[in-house]
Amino acid sequence: MAIIQTVDLTKKFGNFTAVDHLNLSIEEGEIFGLLGPNGAGKTTTLLMLVTVIKPTKGTAYVDGYDITREPDKARRLIGMAFQDPKLMWVVTPWDVLNWHAKVCGLSSLERKKRVKWALTELGLWENRHKSVHTFSGGMRKRVEIAKILIQRPKIAIVDEPTTQIDIVGKHRIWNMIRTLRDEGSTIILATNELYEADLLSDRVAIMHKGKLLVCDSPKKLKDSIVGGDLIEVILEKEAPKTLIEELEKIDKIVEVLVLKPNHLRIYLNRAEEILPQITEFFIKTHLPIQSIRMSEPSLDDVFAHYTGLTIEEAEKR
Amino acid sequence: MNRIKHLLEYDFRNFFRYKWWIAGMISMNLADLIIMAVVYTNMVSQEVSQKYLNYFLFFSPGITITALFAAAFMIGREINRELRREISHYLLSLPFSRWELAFGRVLSGGLRGMVYMAPLLITTIFITWVFTGNIPSVLGILIILTTLFLVSVGTSGLSITMSLSTRSFEKFVTARGVVYYILFFCSSVFYPLDFIQQLGREGTLPQFLVLIAEMNPLSSGADTTRAFLFGHPAYSPFMLLNVALFALIFVLTASFAYLKILQG
Ligand SMILES: Nc1ncnc2c1ncn2[C@@H]1O[C@H](COP(=O)(O)OP(=O)(O)O)[C@@H](O)[C@H]1O
Ligand SMILES: [Mg+2]
Repeated sequence: MAIIQTVDLTKKFGNFTAVDHLNLSIEEGEIFGLLGPNGAGKTTTLLMLVTVIKPTKGTAYVDGYDITREPDKARRLIGMAFQDPKLMWVVTPWDVLNWHAKVCGLSSLERKKRVKWALTELGLWENRHKSVHTFSGGMRKRVEIAKILIQRPKIAIVDEPTTQIDIVGKHRIWNMIRTLRDEGSTIILATNELYEADLLSDRVAIMHKGKLLVCDSPKKLKDSIVGGDLIEVILEKEAPKTLIEELEKIDKIVEVLVLKPNHLRIYLNRAEEILPQITEFFIKTHLPIQSIRMSEPSLDDVFAHYTGLTIEEAEKR
Repeated sequence: MNRIKHLLEYDFRNFFRYKWWIAGMISMNLADLIIMAVVYTNMVSQEVSQKYLNYFLFFSPGITITALFAAAFMIGREINRELRREISHYLLSLPFSRWELAFGRVLSGGLRGMVYMAPLLITTIFITWVFTGNIPSVLGILIILTTLFLVSVGTSGLSITMSLSTRSFEKFVTARGVVYYILFFCSSVFYPLDFIQQLGREGTLPQFLVLIAEMNPLSSGADTTRAFLFGHPAYSPFMLLNVALFALIFVLTASFAYLKILQG
């Protein structure tokens, strides 16, 4: 049975629907990615699961407990590291984490051990008695993540865990999230970073405008795109619309996505075979190619397949 | 119970972050007392001077209760700030039940008021003893402490209710100003209740203001202290009942606000 099951989970703020009839089922022990551009409704979904805000409609079951009927029981199973670090009065990471661990019911021995471990692993040990007010965004974010790593809840929610963190730090946190899962937690990871979602998730749900677009393992999602290959072409000049229509007529080309007027992403089958044909096409139409590159589809292409936009574009709108 | 202890820790740490500020405020309250003593003692009516020896001694329990009120009210400001910065999300996500959270916060606010007030109450008892030789009985002290605790908890509940239902900081501060003004001045903090009642009978003061003064928990708190220190006004169980009702009402509204408003 799924450890989390949402049933038409919906949240409206006034007339605006932030989360729209969401049906997800999350299996015990998996890392479940929630991928979508800013404003997709990821955080709102998570806040409902952790019983901080109430659904307008629908509900969710957390290990069998209905979040609208037995929120106290559901809440005890979940821990959340928030997108914006919540470190109010507490002036030092040491105090923040010790208080959090106490509230979550850790014995004093266990608490000392885990707090020390997390602070050391996250490179905060030296600064443990410094005021968090002097901390950079990345350091605050690490303190926020440390909470959940210390708590080790049955269900751990991490909301954009590595924004503002340098690449070395990102890898360290990703490893720690994996370890947390290996120790028995189910992880829900909300992110707008494709690489992060792809790397960590056993399964990914892609959200856009409050709705679920699709949900499966990253590999299956990428394989599901018609036209298993893709070619990116950057031209010296802008490509006229008519030209793109013509391009789409080439056999084996499935879809052409215009990222910028001079930047095309072409979805197709058997790229090696028709690459010469495509180059020739541009030479014939007097559009010099600046660069051309073959690659594998990413989750961005899955997103683009459903919305006609890349995640980056969706965030701008 | 253990979890409520954590909430108390949270709020007391928060409170003592302002320890120098608090020390400064208490010193100012004490300085006010001295100034009052010097300036007002000869200005007020014979009647007050006769019953309480001087205005200084009369006013001392009054300033104690205003300090209690102001300190217990601070929690509302903090909860208002938590709400605006969404720190409330963090607290709501922790393994507290909503009742534990609401009750713990109200209790914190109340206990913080008591801690702040303690040096002032001790000073009041001490100076009264110096001037008059009166010392309250153990039972008297217990009743004073119980009454003041109920005022403190009720005040904490009142401020939490206000901060959660106003939301914007400006509105909260405005509402706070109005409440302070009414409760401080329509009370027996500055003048004896029978003096206010007399003004009411003479028609100088509107009857509803007299009623507010009579029902005001600050009046009951100050007069309970006075009753056991000076024997004036005579102690009446109404005072205890009145503050108990005040506490009950605002503990309930604060819990309700926590349960209904916070979790939108
Ligand atoms: N408390 C709120 N009141 C009104 N609108 C909100 C509130 N919280 C979120 N929203 C809106 O809901 C949408 C989804 O937000 P959010 O869940 O934070 O998205 P994500 O986490 O995917 O970036 C956004 O358009 C946001 O502006
Ligand atoms: Mg978000």
